[in-house]
Amino acid sequence: MSESEPTLQKPNHQTETPNYDDAYDAIVVGAGLSGTAAALTMAREGLDVLLLERGPAPGTKNVFGGVLYTPTIRELVDIDDAPLERYIAEKKFSMLSADGDETAVSMRPSAWSDDPHNDSYTVLRRRFDEWFAKQAEEAGVTLITETTVTDVLRDGDTIVGVRTDRPDGEIRAPVVVLAEGANSLVSETAGLKDRPDREDVAVSVKEVFKLNRETIDDRFHLDGDAGAAYHYFGEGAVGEAVGGGFVYTNKRTVSVGVAYRIEDAAQGQTPEATLDAFESHPAVAPLVRGGRRIEYSAHAIPEGGADAMPDLVYDGAVVVGDAAGLVLNSGVHLEGTNMAVESGYHAGKAIAAAIEDGRTDEAALAAYPRDLEDSFVVENLRHYDWFHRTIATDRQFLFEDLPRALADAETEYFKMDRSSKEAHTDAARERLLDATGGWVGAAKRAWRFRRMLS
Amino acid sequence: MTDGWNIVVCVKQVPDADDVTIDPDTGTLNRSDAPAVLNSPDRNAVESALELRAAVGGTVTAITMGPPVAKAVLQTAVGAGADGGVLLTDRAFGGSDTWPTSLALARAAAELDADVVICGEESTDSSTGQVPPGIAAHNGWSQLTYVESLEPRPDEGVLVGKRDVEGGYERVAAQLPVVVAMEFGANVPRPAGLHRKIFAETEFEPVEWTASDLGIEEQVGLANSPTKVGGMDTASPVERERVVVDSVDDLYEHIEEVV
Ligand SMILES: Cc1cc2nc3c(=O)[nH]c(=O)nc-3n(C[C@H](O)[C@H](O)[C@H](O)COP(=O)(O)OP(=O)(O)OC[C@H]3O[C@@H](n4cnc5c(N)ncnc54)[C@H](O)[C@@H]3O)c2cc1C
Ligand SMILES: Cc1cc2nc3c(=O)[nH]c(=O)nc-3n(C[C@H](O)[C@H](O)[C@H](O)COP(=O)(O)OP(=O)(O)OC[C@H]3O[C@@H](n4cnc5c(N)ncnc54)[C@H](O)[C@@H]3O)c2cc1C
Repeated sequence: MSESEPTLQKPNHQTETPNYDDAYDAIVVGAGLSGTAAALTMAREGLDVLLLERGPAPGTKNVFGGVLYTPTIRELVDIDDAPLERYIAEKKFSMLSADGDETAVSMRPSAWSDDPHNDSYTVLRRRFDEWFAKQAEEAGVTLITETTVTDVLRDGDTIVGVRTDRPDGEIRAPVVVLAEGANSLVSETAGLKDRPDREDVAVSVKEVFKLNRETIDDRFHLDGDAGAAYHYFGEGAVGEAVGGGFVYTNKRTVSVGVAYRIEDAAQGQTPEATLDAFESHPAVAPLVRGGRRIEYSAHAIPEGGADAMPDLVYDGAVVVGDAAGLVLNSGVHLEGTNMAVESGYHAGKAIAAAIEDGRTDEAALAAYPRDLEDSFVVENLRHYDWFHRTIATDRQFLFEDLPRALADAETEYFKMDRSSKEAHTDAARERLLDATGGWVGAAKRAWRFRRMLS
Repeated sequence: MTDGWNIVVCVKQVPDADDVTIDPDTGTLNRSDAPAVLNSPDRNAVESALELRAAVGGTVTAITMGPPVAKAVLQTAVGAGADGGVLLTDRAFGGSDTWPTSLALARAAAELDADVVICGEESTDSSTGQVPPGIAAHNGWSQLTYVESLEPRPDEGVLVGKRDVEGGYERVAAQLPVVVAMEFGANVPRPAGLHRKIFAETEFEPVEWTASDLGIEEQVGLANSPTKVGGMDTASPVERERVVVDSVDDLYEHIEEVV
């Protein structure tokens, strides 16, 4: 070309593909909260990390009701830059009967309105996870998306890498971090954990409704970035099943969903019908009325507590987050995000220390389960293990009799007629005692449930 | 042509169609939210470039014109197996319509001594299909459009394209250099190999050329684009009448009514 510069730089052609076996110190499977936290922690410790995600971007495959708990994330990244939706200004716990009654306890401590907002924010995982992974990339992590890990590679008993669904798809590294979430097919295929018992898995379905910001502010009595998290129990929330429903406010959308044992779904209670019934309950319907449904999704939540936790370390591998069953689903609490990040963080630290010592066997990685044991994660899981056992005994009472009795008692107590207030109180007490099995029954139950709110 | 052919493949970055929304109030495309991805017909272009390289030898160079982030589509092409990439990026290119876009690509292809330039059928965001013929016109090269498959004849310096035409197909032999527009869906694009993908996204760097590098700074951009956008309108969907008829006679009657 006569008019172009003669010095134009020609492209370098590289036909030969380099081989990246053992080019990275660690491979992380899954760019969710736990995987990204682990990758970021390791990169900060100077390791070369390869983060593999099956979705087109982190978060695209993520189903999530919505409250992200940020105490640990805050230590890792500047949370002020994160795409957060609203902070949780109000929590409500509500009993719904199948007849349309609602009995609720709501709390709005003024402290939650001040920074750091009790470290509780609604987020859209699609946006948040992508942002979080970007922070990891900035710290030096290599993120490769649209790549599904199908199995681990072994050398004897030691895990030495992963196999992916891509051509030329095997890659080796000293440590593999399994952070694949609740649907942990790789860990199961590799025999690192058993398929969870049906009782230990909840199914969750969720819908997202689009409403405008002002409508949400008005309906939930919110201002600015304030948001609400409502939790529902009882027959009106999930029918005969063991579980609950939730409503969370985002900026311009509302997430509505139910979560209950897969066991109950298997016995014929379909997720669609359950969600439908919940959304048409008179206590819930007005919250989403007129909203346009923009998303429907279903997902599994492990909820076996500490008892169902698999081994967390192997020669050459660790398991973190939901894949390790680190979720608290007690009815009052549905938390996994904070434990996912906490476990990723401890795993990342332990791996960095082990690599520094030039070892990656199980014993060298043992600091991870040890540190987790000392953290709030395992402690919380233990604490709530009893809840599942309690639920099993008190299902009928908790989810059917109590909501109805509460509603009846309220009706009696506040009745406007010509008998005395005292007569109303007596009648109300009568209703509740009936349901709880008299004074002795009530006392026993109160004792069993004392830990629920502690 | 003993070393095989210099194959150039044109790849464009477009907003992810799944994520593009139309603002119902203004009628404009909401492109900013949508992540940018490789124009999917260009996957067919990349695949046939790689197949051509396998058949005749040589190299595949991916080129794109766009902002610096358009590097991502070059990475996609290199991940699939292209040998290298060129990013045409310059503020001067901003607002270019198909005329200057094809001029820039044409000059770059000439600069690369291209024997074959392979494009996609059309882009998913503007879908004019004008760029491939534009490249051929600017350079005075032969062109093959709506190509289903390619058959190289390196000894004769000819590329034969099987073209999809109404009622069948035709086979056209074109002298090199030639610009090809592959039909969308003409082949099954190969997935990137894992190690190649890692290479493309970590180590591969495209060279960057500006408008003045190509000597066309006075011929590109909005000012040199003949397209003038008069206005935008949203078309409201028209509810179709659905009628099920039982017999041919009924159908005839219905048609008669309408006509
Ligand atoms: C409906 C619902 C509501 C919830 N609500 C709350 C809540 O309000 N508060 C709370 O704290 N927690 C909540 N949780 C729990 C919380 O979502 C999880 O505990 C948390 O996301 C776990 O993080 P993780 O990184 O372990 O797994 P995930 O976030 O599930 O991430 C796993 C990642 O790995 C990827 N992946 C999976 N398999 C592969 C593979 N083979 N190869 C490559 N990549 C793979 C996935 O695409 C995904 O990106 C809820 C869960 C559900 C389902
Ligand atoms: C009415 C109208 C208004 C427009 N207004 C604007 C505007 O205001 N601002 C703006 O930025 N754009 C605008 N455009 C888009 C711009 O003109 C086109 O994106 C560009 O000229 C390419 O044309 P195309 O996408 O139709 O390509 P096509 O001819 O449909 O593409 C065919 C093939 O050519 C190749 N190709 C096309 N473009 C490139 C590229 N950039 N790099 C590498 N290969 C390529 C690919 O292989 C592609 O598959 C407008 C388009 C139209 C039709």
